Amino acid sequence: MDFQFLIELTINGALTGLMYSLVALGIVLIYKSSGVPNLAQGAMVMIAAYLVWIFAGLLGTPILVALFMALVGMFLFGMLTERFLLRKMVGQPIIMVVMLTLGLESLLRGIGPGLLGAAPKSLDLGLDMMPIIIGDVFINREYLVGGLIGAAMVGLSLLFFRTRLGTKLRAVSDNHISSWSVGISVERAVAISWGLAGISAVAAGAMWGSVQGVDWTLTALLFPAVAVVILGGLDSIYGVLIAGLIVGILGSVIPGYVDPLVGGGTRDVVTSLIILLTIMFRPHGIFGREDIERV
Amino acid sequence: MLTSSNTAVPLRDTAQPLLELSNVEVVYDRVFLAIKGVSLKIEQGQMIALLGSNGAGKSTTLKSISGLLAPERGLVTRGNLWFKGQDMLPLTPPKRVAAGLVHVLEGRRIFEHLTPEDNLLAAFPLRGSRQRYQELREQVFTYFPRLKERARTKSGYLSGGEQQMLAIGRALMTEPDLIMLDEPSLGLSPLLVQEIFEIIRKINEEQGMSVLLVEQNATAALAVVDYAYLLENGHVVMSGEAAVLRENPDVQEFYLGGAGKVDYLNVKHYRRRKRWLA
Repeated sequence: MDFQFLIELTINGALTGLMYSLVALGIVLIYKSSGVPNLAQGAMVMIAAYLVWIFAGLLGTPILVALFMALVGMFLFGMLTERFLLRKMVGQPIIMVVMLTLGLESLLRGIGPGLLGAAPKSLDLGLDMMPIIIGDVFINREYLVGGLIGAAMVGLSLLFFRTRLGTKLRAVSDNHISSWSVGISVERAVAISWGLAGISAVAAGAMWGSVQGVDWTLTALLFPAVAVVILGGLDSIYGVLIAGLIVGILGSVIPGYVDPLVGGGTRDVVTSLIILLTIMFRPHGIFGREDIERV
Repeated sequence: MLTSSNTAVPLRDTAQPLLELSNVEVVYDRVFLAIKGVSLKIEQGQMIALLGSNGAGKSTTLKSISGLLAPERGLVTRGNLWFKGQDMLPLTPPKRVAAGLVHVLEGRRIFEHLTPEDNLLAAFPLRGSRQRYQELREQVFTYFPRLKERARTKSGYLSGGEQQMLAIGRALMTEPDLIMLDEPSLGLSPLLVQEIFEIIRKINEEQGMSVLLVEQNATAALAVVDYAYLLENGHVVMSGEAAVLRENPDVQEFYLGGAGKVDYLNVKHYRRRKRWLA
C-alpha cells in the first residue's frame, strides 16, 4: 500500500475537516449561547459567500475591505434573524425552533441564487493556487489557509467564552430564567451569538466559496458540519476542532481507498455513519456536556 | 379579616417605602387568577417574610416583583408596583435588577455547567469595574467560605446547601438594595437552614440590604425576620411584627404546629377556611 498516498489523504482530509469546523463553529456558537440548534448555518455560509462576492467580485472593492464589509453585514444579518424570528419563539418547544431554522435555511437557499443567478460565481481571495509540495506529498494551499483560519477561529472562540461577555453567554445557554433573574438580558445574548455565527459564516463562506465557487451548493456544507457538531458535542468548541479533524480525515482516507472500488460517493456515507454511530453510542458527542445528575 | 395589629411598619427616615405593592393581581394563561390583590411594603433595611402554604401565591408575588412571570405566561393585570418610587411594571427583568432588586429563584437554579466562580462573574454587570468584581467576589466568599473551597468545580456537583449559598452569592453580585429569596430552606437540613438564615440576617444587618423571604417553614422564618405577611389563597390574610405573629394563636395553630393537632385534616382545613377564606 502506498504510504505517501495515505499521508496525502490524511493531511488534505485534516485541512478539509478544519474547514468543516469553520462551518460547524457557527452552529456551536449559537447552541452554546442559547441552546438553539441552528440548521440555517449552511445557508448563512452561502449568504456570506454571496456577500463577499458582491463586494469583491461585483463592486470590485479590495478583498480585505470586502471581507470586512461582509463581516459587518453578516453580524447584522445574524442579529436581525434573532430579533425578528427567534425572539418570537421564546417559550416555544424546541422542535418549533428547529423547524424555524430549517425553514430559514430553505428560504435563504432559494433567495440567494434567485436574486443573483444560479450560475456559480468564482470568488478570488488572491491566494496562490499552487499546491505546496513536501517530498512527494501535495498539499492544497487554499485548504491549508482555510484550515489555519478554522483553527484560529476556534482558538478565538475559546478565548471569547472566557471573557465576561462570554461567561454571560454560557450562563444564558445554561438557564434562561436564572440568567434573567440576575439581570442578564437573554435576548441580547442570543442576538450576539447569532451575530457571531454570522461572522464565522463569513470566514467559512469566503474559504469554501474560493474553493468550490459561490452558488447554492454551499448550503450542502450543513451536512458535514452537523456531523462535526454531533460528534464533537453541540456545545463544545474543542469538540468542533477535534471532530472536524476526525470527520475530515475519515471523509478523505476512506473514500480514497474505497471510492475506486465502488465508483465514488462514499464520503457522504462516511459522514452519515459518523452521525448515526455517534447518536447511538455517545449521544452528547465526545466533549458535549451531559446533564448533571447529582448522586 | 383578622389583622393581628394595626401597628404600622416602623418608618425610617425615607418618606416612601423601598418597595410597595398595592392591590397586585396576577393572571396565568389569561384564565387562572393566582394572586388576588396583594399589597405589601418593605422599608429600606427591613427583613420581611412572606409566609403561606403551598399554592398560596408566594412565588407568584415574588415573580410579579422581579418580572419573571412572562416565561410562565403570567401577567400583572391590576395593581401597582413601586420600587424606590419608580414604577417597575413596564420594566424587563434585567432592568429591574439594574434598579436594585434581585430574585433568588426557588430550587436554586444555579448555572450548573459553570463553576461557582463563573456563576458569580456571569451575574456581575458587564460595565462594572474589575476591581469592584473582585471586591464583591471576596465578600461573597467571606459570607460563604465553602464556596471558595469549591470555586473551580462544576456547580452542578455542589451539595444542595452549597448550591443555595451560590444562588444567594450570585444574587449579591448584582449589588441589590432588595434581595428576594424564594424558599431557601427547600430540601435542606434544619441545621443548614439555620446557618443560611443567619448569614442572610448578617448580610441584612451589615449591608443594610432589605430582604424579602418567602417561606413555608414559618418557624425558621419568623425567628429571623422583623415583620411578616401571611398569604392564603392569593390574599394577604394577616401581617404584623414577627414577635407578635409568633404569639398569635392562629399562626401557631396553622403554621407553627401548635394546638389543634387532633383530627388535623378536617379541623384545620375547616377552621382556616372559615376564618380566612370565606
